[in-house]
Amino acid sequence: MKYYKFGDKNGRYIGSNDKYDVYENTIASRIAENNEKIKKEPYEMYFNYGPSAGGLRESVNFNIVTPGETIRDITVNSYYKRRRIKIINDDIDTALLKVERINGFHSASNTVCFLLAVEDALNIDNHNSNNKRIIEIELERIRSNLDVIKGLCESAGFSVPEKQLLYLMEKVTRIISDTFNHRYFFSANYINNVYGNFDSIKLDDIYKEFNEIYNGLLESKIFMDRIQENGIVKDANSTGPAARASGYKYDARIDSKSLVYNNYNIFAMEDGDTFSRFMVRSNEIFSSIEIINNNLNKINNNKNDVKIENKSGEGAARIESPQGDIFYYANIENNKIKELSIISPSYLNIELFKKAIKNNNILTDFFFVWNSFGIWISELEVDFI
Amino acid sequence: MMWFLKGIKKRIKTENLNDKYKIKYPSVLEGKSDYNCPTGAIENNKWVKEKCIFCEKCDLKPTYKQDMYNINNNIPDIFKKSFYLYPIDSGTCGACNTEFNTIFSPQYDINRFKIFLSNTPRHADALVIMGVYTENMDKVIENAYDAMPEPKLLIGLGACSVSGGIIGEKISKKFDIEILGCPPSPYTIINAILKARGNVK
Ligand code: SF4
Ligand code: SF4
Repeated sequence: MKYYKFGDKNGRYIGSNDKYDVYENTIASRIAENNEKIKKEPYEMYFNYGPSAGGLRESVNFNIVTPGETIRDITVNSYYKRRRIKIINDDIDTALLKVERINGFHSASNTVCFLLAVEDALNIDNHNSNNKRIIEIELERIRSNLDVIKGLCESAGFSVPEKQLLYLMEKVTRIISDTFNHRYFFSANYINNVYGNFDSIKLDDIYKEFNEIYNGLLESKIFMDRIQENGIVKDANSTGPAARASGYKYDARIDSKSLVYNNYNIFAMEDGDTFSRFMVRSNEIFSSIEIINNNLNKINNNKNDVKIENKSGEGAARIESPQGDIFYYANIENNKIKELSIISPSYLNIELFKKAIKNNNILTDFFFVWNSFGIWISELEVDFI
Repeated sequence: MMWFLKGIKKRIKTENLNDKYKIKYPSVLEGKSDYNCPTGAIENNKWVKEKCIFCEKCDLKPTYKQDMYNINNNIPDIFKKSFYLYPIDSGTCGACNTEFNTIFSPQYDINRFKIFLSNTPRHADALVIMGVYTENMDKVIENAYDAMPEPKLLIGLGACSVSGGIIGEKISKKFDIEILGCPPSPYTIINAILKARGNVK
């Protein structure tokens, strides 16, 4: 492993799974938490929502303790859709098909991070593919951020911008599909290779159309009232847009060596509320377009040789997915997966959501706050067997 | 009011289903291959569309056709008037959920065919089940199905729910309509539902 080692806490906290606590530079054994069930006072009630309900895209259950209007406490039960994916002993090609489907909406981030870990384990030079990988991850970020902002419009009952954003998401999806032959990047990524026709990537319209929607939302007093000063959370243990919305300039595009971005300027806000997360997500759409345009000029279309020096080894990688740091650890023995571990940004984002929603919010704020974190259960609730 | 005017000014046009943009994968595959398919979707050199995840590894060729579905039962005429869908995520990767939501986007606008989302299974005509079988969601699906009024339909959306795909086990229920692909494209989803309701020949 070039950039990671097993050891104690070192650097900022990235997240945990059942086995590991991962920090900026180290992988530590998991310290189990003491999960106490929340208790209600006599004047309070439990409000149970999900796992399947209108308004929820994925299966997840919330148990809210409320005296009537405010949210005093909450548990998030994400285990309902837990998938057990048979991947141990798979060869890398077969494992890749499964990794693509850990979080299909963020398939590029998951797949690229997995491949970077595999390339680290097998000592494969990947510098020829990394510009293309940056382009696909930034395209994914644009779609993902549009989705989060669409969710905020939906929560506010703003159907016109909601539908306009859905329209833009489909436009971005078609650019992805024309470039990579698949609307979710499936089968586009291989070891030291990205298959795609990058000439189809033109983003000027997306920039212009999103800019109009963004300015329209900023001018809307009703929308601003709904998202300002709710869901406030500022916590040193945070990740992605939620961290950057609260003054923590964490970004794996800057502080990870796995996939190096040059000259990236972090956009950050201070207040840590839903509005700040909206601002970070919006401004990162503009910066992602700029990153893509810069990288399109640097693409190297030479056929990449894959020289595999080792057949066994351990590797790890961390990159900035649209919701924050995503981390993969892969242990490979004779080209087969011996151990695979993922730290999803949704782990920390759920912790942040719980803190944010308990911080002086009422039940009607619930969807604004939940949607502002862009949490995906699919990549959190996965067992590799 | 401001957004209402902005909406009118923008004039986003819903597309005619015939002005399709081209989707290479997934689309109906043709030809022959003896490739050792990772999901067993090639049996005796023949393609088994229900199991295919469109991984592009075999010699089968994409045709760009977006009509991969099975209609397994007669669908009552009553659903021609209006049709309410209630989606349930059993164990998805998220892509099937996203494609399902996309059919409500301005480009596809499935509402124009009198097809709507229901917020509860109690008012739904069809349950749309996505993702692989998971133990905890099995009971939730059962409860949702029991809560629906008669007549009611079960739709399986995506390779995971219909065959298990590459991720796990399929849903144990028998589907009235199976919509195939990993994930099925918005065109395939719309074509399957319109065909099942008898809106198109
Ligand atoms: S495309 Fe992939 S999944 Fe489909 S038949 Fe060919 S090898 Fe099997
Ligand atoms: S069928 Fe494919 S796209 Fe749909 S949930 Fe399963 S793996 Fe994801």
